[in-house]
Amino acid sequence: MKVILIIPAYNEEANILKVYNTIKEYNEKNENKLDYIVINDASTDSTLEILKENNINHIDLIQNLGIGGAVQTGYKYAYQNDYDIAIQFDGDGQHDINYVKKICEPIINKEVDMCIGTRYLDKSSSEFQSTFMRRFGKNIISVLIKLFCKKQITDPTSGFRAVNKEVIKIFAKNYPIEYPEPESTMELLINNYNIVEVPVSMNERQGGKSSINIWKSADYMIKVSLALIVDSLNFKREKRKKNDK
Amino acid sequence: MTNNLKIGLVIITAIYILLILKEIKRKKIQIALSTFWLTSGILLIIAILIPNLVENITKLLGFEVPANMLFCITIFVAFYLIFQLTMRVSKVYTNNISLVQEISLLKNRVNELEKEKKDK
Repeated sequence: MKVILIIPAYNEEANILKVYNTIKEYNEKNENKLDYIVINDASTDSTLEILKENNINHIDLIQNLGIGGAVQTGYKYAYQNDYDIAIQFDGDGQHDINYVKKICEPIINKEVDMCIGTRYLDKSSSEFQSTFMRRFGKNIISVLIKLFCKKQITDPTSGFRAVNKEVIKIFAKNYPIEYPEPESTMELLINNYNIVEVPVSMNERQGGKSSINIWKSADYMIKVSLALIVDSLNFKREKRKKNDK
Repeated sequence: MTNNLKIGLVIITAIYILLILKEIKRKKIQIALSTFWLTSGILLIIAILIPNLVENITKLLGFEVPANMLFCITIFVAFYLIFQLTMRVSKVYTNNISLVQEISLLKNRVNELEKEKKDK
C-alpha cells in the first residue's frame, strides 16, 4: 500500500518544519513508511526557503490558488504517481500524525472509500473542541448534508481525511475548489461512495494566526449552504444520466 | 430632436463604432464578443437617423416617455452583459487553476529528473 500525505501550506514558516519532523520521526518508528508532498501555495513568507533548505519534497505553485486548488494539486500528484491512499494533512500542525494509522484502517480493509478524522465524535478523546461559532457552522452543514444525502457526517469540514485510489482519481479530475471539504463530501455521498468518520484529537494551532472571524464564518456558512444546494441538484442529474446509460 | 443635435449624436456614434473597429483590427477583442458592441453602435445610428422611430416603439411598448424605455432597455442589456462576463470570468478562473496546477506539477517533475541526472 502506497500512502501519501498531502500537506497544503500557505505562509506556514512557523509550522512546516515541525510537521516535517513529526513525519520523519513517524517513519523512523514505523515500518509502513509514509510518503508526503508539501504543496506550497505561493507563500509570501519564507516557507519556500525552508522547504528547499531542508530538502523537503514539495510542489511550488506558481500562483496562489487557495486551499482547494492546492489540495487538488496534491491529488493530481497522487494520481500520477499511482498512490493507493491519499491523506489530507494540514501544514499548521493541527493534525496528529499518530492518527494516520487509524484513519487508514477502514480504507485498507476496503470498508469505505473515504475516512474523515472528526474531533467531535468523542468528547473525552479530544481536548481541543474549537469555538462555539465553528461548531455551530459545522452543525448547519451537517444538517444540510443529512437532508440531501440521508447520512450523518458530524464534521464535514474536517481537513483530516483519507481517500482510496478510486476517489483520488475523481478528485484529481474534478475537485470543488471553493468549499472543498463539505462539497467533496457531498459529491461522494450522492454518488453512493461510502464515508466513515473516526474520532481523532487535534492540537491547537502551534503558530501563525487562524484566518477565521465571525463575519467570515457567517459569509462562509451562507455560501457553503448555497453551494451544497446547487451541488445536490447538479450531482443528482449526473447520476440519473449514468443510470440512463 | 434638432438637426444640430442629430448631427452631433451621429458623429459621436460614428467615433464609437470606429473605435470598436480599431480594437477589433488590433485583435484586442475576440470577434465573437465584438458583435455585441458593433450591433449596439449600428442600432444607435438607426435610432438617431430614422425620425420618430424611438417615439413609435415607446408607444408600441406602452412606456410613457422615450427616456423610460431607453433606460429600461439599457439596464436589461447591461445586466445580461454583466452576467455573461461573470460566466466567462468563472470559466477563465477554473481554467487558470488547472493551468497553475499542471505547470507546478511539471516543474516539480523537471526538478526531480534534474536531481536524478545529477546523482548519476
